[in-house]
Amino acid sequence: MAGKKIVMRASPQAIEEKRRTRGSAILVTGGTGLIGSHLVAKLCRTGYRVIAIARPNKQMTGQERINRLLDWFGLDSPARSRIEILEGHLDDPDLGLDSTRYRQLAEDIDEIVHCASDTSFSERKRAQVEKANVANLENVLELASRSTCCFFHHISTAYAAGKNGGRPCKEDLVETGAFTNVYEETKHRAEWIATKRCASEGIRLNIYRPSIVHGDSKTGRTIRFNALYYPIRTILFFKNLYEKDIVTNSGRNAEKMGVYIDRDGIIHLPIRVKVAAFGGINLIPVDYFVEAFMAIMEDCLEGGIFHIVNTRTRPIEEIIDYVRRLFRVAGIRVVPCEDRANLPRNGLEVLFDHYIRVYEPYIRDTRIFENSRAEAILKKRNIACPEFDYDAFSKCMQYAVDVDWGTRL
Amino acid sequence: MIPEEVGKTAAQCRHYAMCKIDFLGTGLCPSGRVKHYVSYYPQGRMDICDGLARGLIPVTEGLVDIVGTCTLCGICDKQCHFVTGLRPLKVMRSLKEFIAAYIAAGQEVKIVDSDPVLESLREIVGHEWASNDPAILLTYSNDPFPLADMQMPRYVVLPRTGDQIVRLVHLANGRGIPYVVRGNGGSVFGFVFTDGIVIDVNRMKSIDIDRDNWVAVVEPGVTSFELQQEVAKLGFRVNAAEPAATVCGNIVCTGMFSTWSNAYGVGADNFVNMEFVDRQGGLFHLNEKTAPNIFAFTNEGSPSPGICTKAYVRMHPAIDDEEGLLVPFSSFSGAVSFARDLSRRRIGSAIGVLGGHYLSTFISPSAELAERVRSCLTEALGIEYAVFIVADRYARETIKGMAGTIIDNRLFRMLMLGLPHLNEDGWLDLIRDLENEEQPYEILLREEMYPVIETVLSPSPETLAQAVDHDLKDFYSSLYARPEMTDLLWLNAFRIVSSRMARHKHVFVFVAYVPLARLDIIEHIAAELKAIADRYAISNDFGFLTPLDLGKRAILEYDYYIDHTDRSEGVKIGKALGEVEPMFDRLSATTKGVRWLKYVFGQGSSRKESFLYT
Repeated sequence: MAGKKIVMRASPQAIEEKRRTRGSAILVTGGTGLIGSHLVAKLCRTGYRVIAIARPNKQMTGQERINRLLDWFGLDSPARSRIEILEGHLDDPDLGLDSTRYRQLAEDIDEIVHCASDTSFSERKRAQVEKANVANLENVLELASRSTCCFFHHISTAYAAGKNGGRPCKEDLVETGAFTNVYEETKHRAEWIATKRCASEGIRLNIYRPSIVHGDSKTGRTIRFNALYYPIRTILFFKNLYEKDIVTNSGRNAEKMGVYIDRDGIIHLPIRVKVAAFGGINLIPVDYFVEAFMAIMEDCLEGGIFHIVNTRTRPIEEIIDYVRRLFRVAGIRVVPCEDRANLPRNGLEVLFDHYIRVYEPYIRDTRIFENSRAEAILKKRNIACPEFDYDAFSKCMQYAVDVDWGTRL
Repeated sequence: MIPEEVGKTAAQCRHYAMCKIDFLGTGLCPSGRVKHYVSYYPQGRMDICDGLARGLIPVTEGLVDIVGTCTLCGICDKQCHFVTGLRPLKVMRSLKEFIAAYIAAGQEVKIVDSDPVLESLREIVGHEWASNDPAILLTYSNDPFPLADMQMPRYVVLPRTGDQIVRLVHLANGRGIPYVVRGNGGSVFGFVFTDGIVIDVNRMKSIDIDRDNWVAVVEPGVTSFELQQEVAKLGFRVNAAEPAATVCGNIVCTGMFSTWSNAYGVGADNFVNMEFVDRQGGLFHLNEKTAPNIFAFTNEGSPSPGICTKAYVRMHPAIDDEEGLLVPFSSFSGAVSFARDLSRRRIGSAIGVLGGHYLSTFISPSAELAERVRSCLTEALGIEYAVFIVADRYARETIKGMAGTIIDNRLFRMLMLGLPHLNEDGWLDLIRDLENEEQPYEILLREEMYPVIETVLSPSPETLAQAVDHDLKDFYSSLYARPEMTDLLWLNAFRIVSSRMARHKHVFVFVAYVPLARLDIIEHIAAELKAIADRYAISNDFGFLTPLDLGKRAILEYDYYIDHTDRSEGVKIGKALGEVEPMFDRLSATTKGVRWLKYVFGQGSSRKESFLYT
């Protein structure tokens, strides 16, 4: 295609006009995930016509899954009337739709927001992650190319640049990279694939790169409880388990594990968390991401790459301190990595070791994300990332406990 | 009237004859122990109740006696629940109420006339041990095999000696009456029915141990469980089949195979001699020069050489420090390759690859718990298969080094006694959700985790007993307080939990010998059997695989599950068989080492070399 001039399918003005009149139909993938569901709700509330494609799971149809989430968001009838739910999946080139429906969809959509993704880090899940993050993206891009779509919004990750050799990560495509895990690697590949395909088809492309997303900064609400939530959930599980043992079983098992309740009623769990000496966690609340996405979407009509991150990372010691305060748990302490080999581990620590092994690059993250392009837009609209302080932490964790880490959602 | 619900329970009897062995130490049904006819055991009474409910038999003197000898002691409830989850006591009670009401109403109790043949039979075995009472005949007329119709015999006879069998065969031949011999139960494949004479060997139960030759000489009524019990007292074991199956019957029919076959072999490996009464009524021993050659094999199926009246079974020394252990796997290929590797390296004695269904069913005292456990094992922990091994302490260390993650007997006991709490407070979900390069089970089953597991599960006999009906809790608590009930080695040697595989439905097994190096063939067979079953909406699952002959061959079992009381399920099985047969025939003809057990039936005493390497 060298030398061939690509004509963009729609001018920024045309896009803006269509959006302004709320004439745009936006296809959202991954609408049952954390980011996707929030964007579906937000787009509907804003007045856009949304088409969500969702697969069934063992218990529910795709339709039921999305509707359940819309209930959770408390979406009113006018907003709900703007959403159409398609039963399908991204595994097949036809997205699980019959040819008529596929054609109708292609004729209908103006923009695509691609949120569907597999966030597993495990190498043993490589095939599954590659399928979700690369092959399925190609199926969606194929629809985009065969459709009236003029704008593709790709939700990526701030970590798509991989380790980046210690250099600051720019709001740009990265040529090569060493990756921490298969997730980063596939998200990196996905960015290139989307960029090339959209360029060749004359479709404008925005790539959004959030860091680690947690619950709503004001309410703590979320529908996913992995990443940040997992170790807290584990600590609470052990806290409850050994408190019960102490109350009902004279603490025989707690004693073996070195767990006890002190005079102030604080439970001591002997957990040494082994991490590197420097760095912190880059956390953003989901409401901030949604606000940032909407702002960038509406502002950037040419296309671009945007880091949606927190300029201030949190050291793990701070999070542990929040845990201690909120849940009245002591005994958890950070141990430098160098001591790793010399420590015999108890069962509680074994779980933490495994968790840390996977998440350490994000817990002791020293990567710097340049975000001037995103910041320029967000600043104009007074959108700033809220602090992840004790208050935000408490709200998030309290909500998680209230809904039993999602089982009561 | 037999209440409909009771009739339905009665019809569900699986005919596994577990109520005819004292496998839980509860003692046997008192009347069965004395009377020996299957009719006097709970299994027979279930059939009689079903027969009455369906109007198949009249109320006879025999029936009144059978019902009258039931003491409602409740042993059947404990035994049957342990295996099938059924509660036969209510059937027994209903039968008694029915007969009491029948007699109180002055209705006719039929007296069945004798006849010359019966008199001749009684002359041979004694008056008490031959019958033509329909209540007795009915209990020898069917089994859960869905493709065989009920066939009422004319007589049932229970000889005590080989000499009596010789005379019975002469009598039957002389009068032109067909006969079949029957071990402890039906074959559950419709093989032991006739409209002539059923010879039930339940009274022939002697076991003579020849310690110098490491041989147990058993009569045909001796079950695997009973033989294992006897030899275990002397520090030995035998390659035992299903506990309620008779040893002689098993050897003659399919040959003895189990997870022990990895070390002890199959077919003729398991005995040093046998005594038969041939079809003409002549007695011969296999080791006689003039004996028929039943060590050979023909791939067309072959009738048995006669009635086995004695088997000289090999005993093997048990080693003091042996224990059972499980090695979990997330893939079939991983599990099979590991089992093969162990067998090739001669590590471990008993070896078997078990599927998730077997594993969860065997260890769970209720079907509902088994379902939950299976989901925990597979979905939360990633354990799809497990390799079971019996190994001495040296071999266990080696296996640990090879596998990394093992479930030793200490952990197994903890898991089993704490099963109802396996996913307490979402504990396993926590493990499953841990993003990691390792399978969840590889994290959970580490030795450092044992104290945590113990705290989560609170393992105890009482904890496990939470899984059963309220009125059985005390019984299960005391049962599981016995160490052998959570001892992998003991459970494998006596196999008392393997009959649980048919707890939710009657099991229809497909067994084939396969070349163990050809994983592709093994996977192909399993996939074909699954595809065929799925086509006919038959519930199905992998059963087990055991290496043979130092990893060169293996025995593979794949199971279909059907409701044997539902005729439509029988139709489905019939159609499925129409596809399974040509599949096995084709594979047998084209792939060395593939041999469908169907053609081994009746040739179980063949040398393994005759059917594994042809």
